[in-house]
Amino acid sequence: MDGSRDLAQQRKFRVGVDVGGTFTDVVLVDEQSGEILVSKVHTVPEDPSQGCIAGIDKALADYGIMPTDVAFVVHGTTIATNTIIEGKGAKSGLITSDGFRDVLEIAYQTRPNLYDVFYDKPRPLVARSRCLGVPERIGPDGAVLVPLDEEALRRAARRLVAAGVESIAVAFLHSYRDPMHERLAGRILQEECGRLPIVLSSDVCPEYREYPRTSTTVLNAVLLPRVTPYIERLEQRLRERKVAPELHLMTSAGGLMSADVAKRHPVHLVESGPAAGVIGAAFVAERSGFGNLLALDIGGTTAKAAVVHAGRPQITEQFEVGAAAIATVTSPKGLGYPVLTPVISLVEIGSGGGSIAQVDPGGALSVGPQSAGADPGPACYGRGGALATITDANLVLGRINPDYFLGGEVRLDRGLAEEAIRRAVAEPLGIGVVEAALSIVAIADARMTSALYFISVEQGIDPRDYVFVPSGGAGPLHALSIARALGVGRVLVPPTPGLNSALGMLASDLKHDMVRTYMKHQRAADAGEISAIYGEMEEAIGRMLAAEHVAPADRSFLREIEMCYVGQSFHLKLPVPSELDGDGVGRLIAAFHERHAEAYGFASRTEPVRLVNLRLSGIGKVRRPVMRKLPDGEGGRQAIKGYRPVHFDDPRQPVPVPLYDRRLLGTGDRFDGPAIVEQMDTTIVIPAGASVLVTEAGSLLVATGAENDANTGRNPERSDNDAQ
Amino acid sequence: MRSEVARRAQADGLEDIDPVSFEVIRNALLNITEEMAVTIRRAAYSTNIKTRADFSCAFFDATPLCVAQSFAQPAHLVSMSSIVPAVIREIGPENMQSGDVFLINDAHRGTSHLNDITAITPIDVQGRRIGYFANMAHHVDVGGSAPASLGVSREIFQEGLIIPPTLIARGDRIDHNVLNLLLSNVRAPRETRGDLRAQMSANVIGLRRVTSLVERYGADFLEKFFAELLRYTERWTEREIRRLPEGIYEAEGFRDDNGMDDEPVRLRARVTIRDGHIHLDVTGSSPQRAGPLNCTRPMARCAIAFVSRCLIDNRLPVNDGFLSRIHIDGPDGLCCTAQRPMAVVGGWELAARLTDVVFKALHPALPKRIPACGKGLIVNLGFGGHDPLRNEYFCYMETIAGGNGARPGKDGPDAVQVNLQNTENAPIEEVELNYPILVRRYELIVDSCGAGQFRGGLGVRRDFEFPHAPVTCTILSDGCKFAPWGLDGGDSGAPARFVYDPEGEGRVLRSKCTVDVPTGGRIRIETPGGGGIGNPTLRRPESLARDLEDGKVTEEWARAARSGSGAAGSAPGVAAATGGAE
Repeated sequence: MDGSRDLAQQRKFRVGVDVGGTFTDVVLVDEQSGEILVSKVHTVPEDPSQGCIAGIDKALADYGIMPTDVAFVVHGTTIATNTIIEGKGAKSGLITSDGFRDVLEIAYQTRPNLYDVFYDKPRPLVARSRCLGVPERIGPDGAVLVPLDEEALRRAARRLVAAGVESIAVAFLHSYRDPMHERLAGRILQEECGRLPIVLSSDVCPEYREYPRTSTTVLNAVLLPRVTPYIERLEQRLRERKVAPELHLMTSAGGLMSADVAKRHPVHLVESGPAAGVIGAAFVAERSGFGNLLALDIGGTTAKAAVVHAGRPQITEQFEVGAAAIATVTSPKGLGYPVLTPVISLVEIGSGGGSIAQVDPGGALSVGPQSAGADPGPACYGRGGALATITDANLVLGRINPDYFLGGEVRLDRGLAEEAIRRAVAEPLGIGVVEAALSIVAIADARMTSALYFISVEQGIDPRDYVFVPSGGAGPLHALSIARALGVGRVLVPPTPGLNSALGMLASDLKHDMVRTYMKHQRAADAGEISAIYGEMEEAIGRMLAAEHVAPADRSFLREIEMCYVGQSFHLKLPVPSELDGDGVGRLIAAFHERHAEAYGFASRTEPVRLVNLRLSGIGKVRRPVMRKLPDGEGGRQAIKGYRPVHFDDPRQPVPVPLYDRRLLGTGDRFDGPAIVEQMDTTIVIPAGASVLVTEAGSLLVATGAENDANTGRNPERSDNDAQ
Repeated sequence: MRSEVARRAQADGLEDIDPVSFEVIRNALLNITEEMAVTIRRAAYSTNIKTRADFSCAFFDATPLCVAQSFAQPAHLVSMSSIVPAVIREIGPENMQSGDVFLINDAHRGTSHLNDITAITPIDVQGRRIGYFANMAHHVDVGGSAPASLGVSREIFQEGLIIPPTLIARGDRIDHNVLNLLLSNVRAPRETRGDLRAQMSANVIGLRRVTSLVERYGADFLEKFFAELLRYTERWTEREIRRLPEGIYEAEGFRDDNGMDDEPVRLRARVTIRDGHIHLDVTGSSPQRAGPLNCTRPMARCAIAFVSRCLIDNRLPVNDGFLSRIHIDGPDGLCCTAQRPMAVVGGWELAARLTDVVFKALHPALPKRIPACGKGLIVNLGFGGHDPLRNEYFCYMETIAGGNGARPGKDGPDAVQVNLQNTENAPIEEVELNYPILVRRYELIVDSCGAGQFRGGLGVRRDFEFPHAPVTCTILSDGCKFAPWGLDGGDSGAPARFVYDPEGEGRVLRSKCTVDVPTGGRIRIETPGGGGIGNPTLRRPESLARDLEDGKVTEEWARAARSGSGAAGSAPGVAAATGGAE
C-alpha cells in the first residue's frame, strides 16, 4: 500500500493511459511488487476517451484485475494540441478594452520569418467579427480611468450569443493588477449568456503584457468546450466501471493535475502527451545511472525530441502552440499562438510509423507528414489502408515480425505491405520493392536525425556527450541508425519503450503552479504583504492538493520571486524562504544583486529593484513506482528464439539474424549485432558493429560503434555520463 | 555509414575539416552570439532594446571578417560588417587589448545613424588574437535637438553626441570619465547606462564562451574553421545567385521630402545580376542635402542585401561570405551615399524606400516572387519630458507596423513590420507601467489596404495620451504623399497620417516634426496599408466577403474594388496626393 497517500486499503494498481495518434497505451504498476503490466489498443480518433476506456478494460481483463483494485489513474492526452492544430477549437468570442479589439490580429507586429516574402501570420483563433471592445480602463497602478460600461458589455454579449459563440474570453488591460473589471464583466456575462463558459485573463494567467496573456486566455476559451466534455466522458465511463479514484491529467510542464482543475484550465494540457514521454525517458535513464540524455519518442504519427540535462527536462515559461520549432531570443516570435504556462521544451516533427511514403509530382520520394493514423492505418494492418507507410517498409525489410506485432495482437500482412510500396514508390521510381523500402526508412531516419540535430547541435550541445533514449513503438526500430548519424556512442533502450509516456505519468508528482504579478518598487515592497500573498496562494493550492487526497505531509511548496532593476523587463528568478521576516525584502534584494552579477557580469547596488512576479509551485508527492531488479541472465544466448532474414543496407541479400526474446534476457547478458530484439510493444534493430549489454534496471545499453571522432581535434572530456 | 551532417557538409565541398566538427562549431558560434543577444535583451533597460529587440551581435575573426551574426533586424545585415573593421583599422589591432570595450556611433565612419551604438571587444586566448565580438544596439536617445534624437536637423552635429572609436572599459574597469561624458549628453541617462552595461556584459559573455571553444578545439583548428565557413558561405551564395536571371533591372521611387522643404527625394536603383554577383547602382538618386533624410552607404547596401536574401536559400549563414557577393555602386554625395557633415537620422526611411524600389526593379524579371509595396517606412516616434511620477526626465521611442504589400497569389498580411524592419511592438501594459504615457487605441485601419486580386495588408492606428505632464513629441517618418504602390493592376495602399488631438482639433502634422503636447493631449499615428496585386475585379467573392464580415473593409471600399474604380485604399482627403505619383 502506498503509505504516502490516504487511499483505501484494497487498491493496488496505478494506471497510466497515454493516447497517441495511433495507439492508446495502458500501463499498470503493482504498487507493492513494482511489476509492470501493459496493454495497447487502437486509438479512436473521433473520441479518444473510448480508446482509453477500451484500453483500461482490456488491461483489467487481460490481467484479471478488479476495477476496485485501481488506486490511481493518470491520463496524458493530445486532445488540446490536436484541437488547435487541426483548427477544431470552439467558436469563441473575445471582449477587450475599447480600442484594443485587434490585439490578436496585430499580435507582436513582427513577421515570423525575416526573408520569406510569402510568410503567413497564424490566423487569429477568434475572428475579428467576434472580437469586441467595451469601454473600461484600468491604469497601470490599478486606478479606474474609465468605469466599465455595463450596457455596452451586455450589448456585446448579446452580439456574441447571436453569433453562436460557445465560450467567451475576457482580457482587459492591466487586469493582472486589478481584476475588478474582469470579474464584474464575468458576472454580467454569466447573466447574459447563461451556461456559456466565461474565461477571464486574470484567472488564467495574471501576468502583464497584454498579447501573450490574451492569447493564453483565448486558447483556454477555445479549448474548454472541446476538452471539458472529453474529460467528463472519461470520468463518467470510469465511474460506470466502478473505478473510484479521481482522474488525473498530465500537464505541459510534466506534472499532474486533477480532472476538476484541468476542466477549468485545459490550456495547461497543450503539451500533455509529449511531456509524459520526456519524464518517462528521464525516469528510465536515471535508473540506469544517466542524467544527460536525448530523448526521441517515435509514435504512429509524429516524432518528438527533447534534451534532458542532469535529470531535469528543460522547462520554458512561455511557448507557442502551432509553431514548428523552439524559438530563440532573436528568432522572430509569432510562428504560433503564445501560451503563458510552463512547458517541457521539445521539438515535434510529422514522422512516425504511420507516416505515408509517396512520390511527389516532381519525382522525389517524400515520407510524412501525412499519416495513415490508426484507422485504416498502414497497409499491412489489413484494415483497408492502401497507402505505403514507414511500418510497411520495416515489415518488408524483415525488421518487424508480422506474427508478433503488439505481441501478436495485430497480425501484419507482408503481401499487402509489398503491394502498397510497389504501387506507391517502387514502380513510380523504377526500383525494386526492397530498395524502395530501404529508401523510405532512410528518409524517415534523416528527418528524425534533423529533429535531434536541432535540439542538440544547433543549440550548441554536442550529442556525442549524451546518451540516446528512444521510445514509442517505432523508436527502437530507428534508434541505432539515427544515433550513428549523429555520432552518438550509446543508446539506452527502456524496458517498455512503447509505453514510455504512460510510464512517465506514473513517475510524476501532482503539481500546480500559480503566479501573481506584484510589481512593486523595493521601497513599496513589504515582507508581510508578500508573505500574505504566498499564504493565500499556498492555501489555494493546498485546497487543490487536499481535494486530490494528498496528505499534508506529502505537500511541498516552492516559492519563487522574479525581480529586475526598475526599467528592465526580463526578470531573474530567486527562491523565497517560507519565513520572510522584517528585513526579508532587503535580503531578497541583496540576493538579486548577486544573482544579476552572476548572470550578466555586473550588479548595480545603488539602483532600485522591482519585485515583479510571485510564483508558487505546489507539489503533491506521488511515490515513484518500485521497479524490480531484472534477474541475472545466462549470457544472452538463452533468449534467442529463432532466426530471420533482415535487410540492413543491402537490398539484394537479406542477412539471417538471431531474434532475441526480450522477456528472456537477464541482467548482464551481452550480445552483438546484427540482431533483432522483439517484445510486445516494440522491436529493436541492432545492426552489425553494435553491441548490447542488459542492465540491472532492465534496459538495453547499446554501444553503437559510431565512427570515432579522433580527427576533430576535440579533447575527450569527461561528461557526467561517463562517470557512471 | 556517413552521417547526416557529413552528407550535408560534404555536398558543399568542405575541404579540410571533418563535417561533424564543422557543423558543431558553426552552431556553437551562433549559439554564443545568441547567448550574447539573450544577455543584452535581459539586462537592457530601454523598451526599444529589451522588448523590441533592436540590436544585434556578431563575431569577427582576426582578419577581421564577420563570421557569425545573430540578429532580429534585417537592417543590421550590413552595418556591423562595415563599422567593426573600420574601427579596428583606425585604432590598430595592436592597440586593442583582450577584453577592452570600444564604443562607436559615428555614422560617417561607416555605420548607420547615431542612435546605433556599437561595442567592440577584442578576444585573445593564450596570447593569440582569436577575433572580436561586437554588438550594436539602437539607443533611445543620444542627445541632439529632440527627444529620442529624432529631430529635423541640417547637420549630423545637431543630431546628437558623435562617438568616435572610444575605449570605455579595459577588462571590467569602466572609464567613468568617458561614461560620464556620454551620460551627460543624453536625455535618459539611467536607461542609457543600463543599456551600455548590457552591451558590455554581452561581450564579456562572448569572451568567456569563445575561450572555452578555443580550449576545446585549439586556435589553429578554429582559424581553419573560420576560413572554411566563409568560403562555404560564399560558394553557396554564388550558386544561389547564379540561379537568378542575369540582367540589368531599373526602377525609381520617391520619399515625400527631406524635412526642410516640400521637394521629393528621388531614389534610383539599377540592379545588375551577373557572374554570381549582385550590384545595386544608385547613380541618379537625389544629391545629399541638409536635412535628416540621407543615408550612409552601408545603409543603402542593406537594401540590396535584404532583397537578395529574399530571393535565395533562406538557410544561408549570415556572414561576410554572403556579403562579399553583394555590392553597392554609385558616387559619394548622393542622398543614399551621404558624407560628413550630412544629417542621417532619417536614413532608414530612405533605405526602406530604396528596398521597395529594388523589389520593383526586379519585378519584370521575377514576377512571381516580388511583393507589392508595403508600409515602406520605419515610422519613428519619440516622446520626452519630465516624468512627475518618477521625478526624472524620460525619453521613449518606438516604431509602428503597417500593411505588407500583397504577394503573387496571396494577400499582404495586416499590421506587420516590413522588409528591413522587424521590431516587436511595445506591450501597452509595459509602456504604461514605465512611462507617463497612456495608449488609447491600437487597431487596424479599416479600408487602408490597396485593392487587388490579392489585397495589401491593413495599416495600424495608435493613439497616445499624456495624462500627467506635457511632453515634446517627435515624429520622423514619411509616406504621406507617395503611397505604397500596387503591382499588375493592383491599387496602392493608404498613405501615412499623423494627427494632433485626433478627437478634437484634428490637425494633420508633417511627417517630420517636433511638437509640444500639453498635459492630457493626444497624438495619433496612422501607418500605410500595403499595395494590392492584380485587377481588383478578379478578387474571389468569398475573400471579399470574409473581409467584409471581419470589418476590415467597408461596403463602400468593396464597391469601389468590385467596380475597379481605383478609389479603394486611398484614405479620404489624401487621394489627390497619391494620384499617379509612382
